[in-house]
Amino acid sequence: MQHVAHLDETAIEVANLSHIYAGAQGTVPALEEISMRVGSGRFTVIVGPSGCGKTSLLMMLAGLRAQSQGTILCHGRPISDPDPKRVGVIFQEASLYPWLSALDNIEFPLSLRGARERETRQQRRARAEAMLRLVGLEGFGERFPYELSGGMKQRVSIARGLVQDPPVLLMDEPFAALDEQTRMTMGHELLRIWSTMLKTVVFITHSLTEAVYLADEVLVMSARPGRIIDRIAVNLPRPRTYEMMATDVFGQLRDRIWQQIRKTP
Amino acid sequence: MRLPAPATARRGMLVALLLLWELVPRTGLLPELFLPALSSTLAVLWQDRQIYSAALLVTLYEVALAMLIACGGGIAAGAVVGGIARLRELLLPVFSSLYAVPIVILYPVFTAWFGVGPESKIAFAGIYAFFPVMLSTAAGIRTIDPQFILAARSMGATLTQQVTRVIIPASLPTVFAGLRLGGALAIIGVVVSEMLTAAAGIGYLVTLNRTILDSPRVFAALLMILILSVAYYMLARAFESRMVVWQSAGRSPKAAQNESAGVPVSVAV
Repeated sequence: MQHVAHLDETAIEVANLSHIYAGAQGTVPALEEISMRVGSGRFTVIVGPSGCGKTSLLMMLAGLRAQSQGTILCHGRPISDPDPKRVGVIFQEASLYPWLSALDNIEFPLSLRGARERETRQQRRARAEAMLRLVGLEGFGERFPYELSGGMKQRVSIARGLVQDPPVLLMDEPFAALDEQTRMTMGHELLRIWSTMLKTVVFITHSLTEAVYLADEVLVMSARPGRIIDRIAVNLPRPRTYEMMATDVFGQLRDRIWQQIRKTP
Repeated sequence: MRLPAPATARRGMLVALLLLWELVPRTGLLPELFLPALSSTLAVLWQDRQIYSAALLVTLYEVALAMLIACGGGIAAGAVVGGIARLRELLLPVFSSLYAVPIVILYPVFTAWFGVGPESKIAFAGIYAFFPVMLSTAAGIRTIDPQFILAARSMGATLTQQVTRVIIPASLPTVFAGLRLGGALAIIGVVVSEMLTAAAGIGYLVTLNRTILDSPRVFAALLMILILSVAYYMLARAFESRMVVWQSAGRSPKAAQNESAGVPVSVAV
């Protein structure tokens, strides 16, 4: 079940990635000369002003959108199409299917493969149930999304992203729709889950506190066209605690990110 | 004093209406020619039960076929028009404006083409009911949250799987709403066309008895149409809420409770 990560191994390597968006009013450069390397098992957070192309970058890492130029390697092999066995994506809560129960939502990716792979219905169910337990929702499997709170829905989303056991997990502002308290709890939960599974995570957020709290490394992007203007290593010890947020080191890191974002026009 | 629950109040209103229907003509407030009493209406309905049930069968047969045409054609056309961007831009404005045309103007043409039998009613009501089904199917497909499809792709769904596992279930609520409206219009279409030119059906009984000023028999037919429409509507609603529980439930009290607690239940921190 666990993917063995070697911290010195490269999980994602992006080289000279640029993207030009062809719109109605001509072409707009969206991303410019992005190069980045994400170590296996590392938690990387990308922050940047609205519209800087963070989400586009993530979609390209997921193989959901094609870049104009540059290469993306995931564990040494190029990414061009969605490959749920290598890369799992977790969206905002809106992407849970409202006509499926929590458990059926988690099982959804497995059921897509069902016809192509030898895995019985019971085996799939068991895997989905294990994921439900992992995210702390045991007993809520039969509930539909409308019967779950925002935080619970996001737990289901995480379980759905993890159920295929991909070594890389991409998260696009997964907690943006949650209230502050739920968001903090969910960040903590995510770290707990991450520490047991040793996944490589690339996480997009608008919250600087969330960025510092979660990350091993924070990448700061500029306004459009998006470039990476700073890489900030967060050397706070793990496991992270809420008390760390009040420390000077935490404040300084957050301040440095904010200064970088503020500089961009 | 507490107000009664809406359901109780509705039942009360219905009873009051039925009482008025009986009492107003009985007390001579309105002559029986304008409004025959409920009891005399029911009496002729019982007396002529063979005529009325035969007429009802004809009407039901026409309605069923018209619904079949409207639903089948509407869903197919709506799926194609809603799913393909080019066709949508080209055709949707045309269909939307056609919907505003009183299609009943076509009925004389239909009688010329298909005769005065059931065929012209089926064709007219089928086309009449086609538009809402088609338009809401197109809308249902067009308004699917793009995140749903993006998520499916990220999970490795093939194009066929995207259609069967995401697009169809996601558009069901809107399609059902269109079917409900389309079905109601099919009933209207059949009854109206029967009233205009026909030799059978409930609508025909309304016209026939009106020309000979037999008010109880006119109202007996009206009562049957009323019951037919309401029964259809209730059936459609029941079917719909069973098929799309997640839509009709919307915001349930359970979700609201969890939300207000701020932190999810059973947090394992």
